[in-house]
Amino acid sequence: MNKRQVVLECISALLIMLFLYASVSKFLDFQRFIGEVNNQPLPNSWTPFLVWTVPSLEIAISVALIFERTRMVGFIASLALMTLFTIYAAAILLHFFEYVPCSCGGVIRKLTWPQHLVFNLFFVGLSVIGIILQRRRSFKSISITKNSFV
Amino acid sequence: MKKIKLTVMTLAIALSIGGAFATSPHVTQTCQSSTQYYYNGSTYVLAGTAGVNYICVGVQGTCTYYKVGSTYVPCMPGAYCTSNCRTAPTPKTKN
Repeated sequence: MNKRQVVLECISALLIMLFLYASVSKFLDFQRFIGEVNNQPLPNSWTPFLVWTVPSLEIAISVALIFERTRMVGFIASLALMTLFTIYAAAILLHFFEYVPCSCGGVIRKLTWPQHLVFNLFFVGLSVIGIILQRRRSFKSISITKNSFV
Repeated sequence: MKKIKLTVMTLAIALSIGGAFATSPHVTQTCQSSTQYYYNGSTYVLAGTAGVNYICVGVQGTCTYYKVGSTYVPCMPGAYCTSNCRTAPTPKTKN
């Protein structure tokens, strides 16, 4: 197991922990999660869609990150979702919405919005590193396969 | 190598699911699943449904409380705001 593989495994594990923890926490107290989504400065008509889509996506990303074959998709999806969350946190901090809502979600709920932003940026960074390392690894394995045919 | 990978993944999954259960309101009895009240200055009144009847704005102060026995314990942070005060009031300045 080389250094790159170890880093890749650690990044995947951290992202899996984040998404799985967040999604399971939401499903464990679904009523509270609905309330938290309603409390966000988004139209309440989006709530039925968001309360199912967000945790389901988080579980799907976690599963994708577990398996080697789907890991790249997992990293890209993780980057997309974390970027969306980061933009949302930044928009709240910039007073883009009518009001600043509570910050919610498991233990993560205890974070303030600036802390949320830094937290999200950290995981955006991890996803980017994951994509870069996974791509290099894929290229390497492709070139090894090609060389073995020559 | 596969053994290490499997151990790391199993640990990550177990920790995240275990952590979610450990911090779940069913275990820690957090407030938001309970009936919410707000303090109107003299007494505690039923707050209604979050996002429908009221919203909690900002992080300063206590927005809602929940009842533990006969006492009201702070729950949601922020300022209690009914749906007609969604727009943050602009500070008035006296000339």
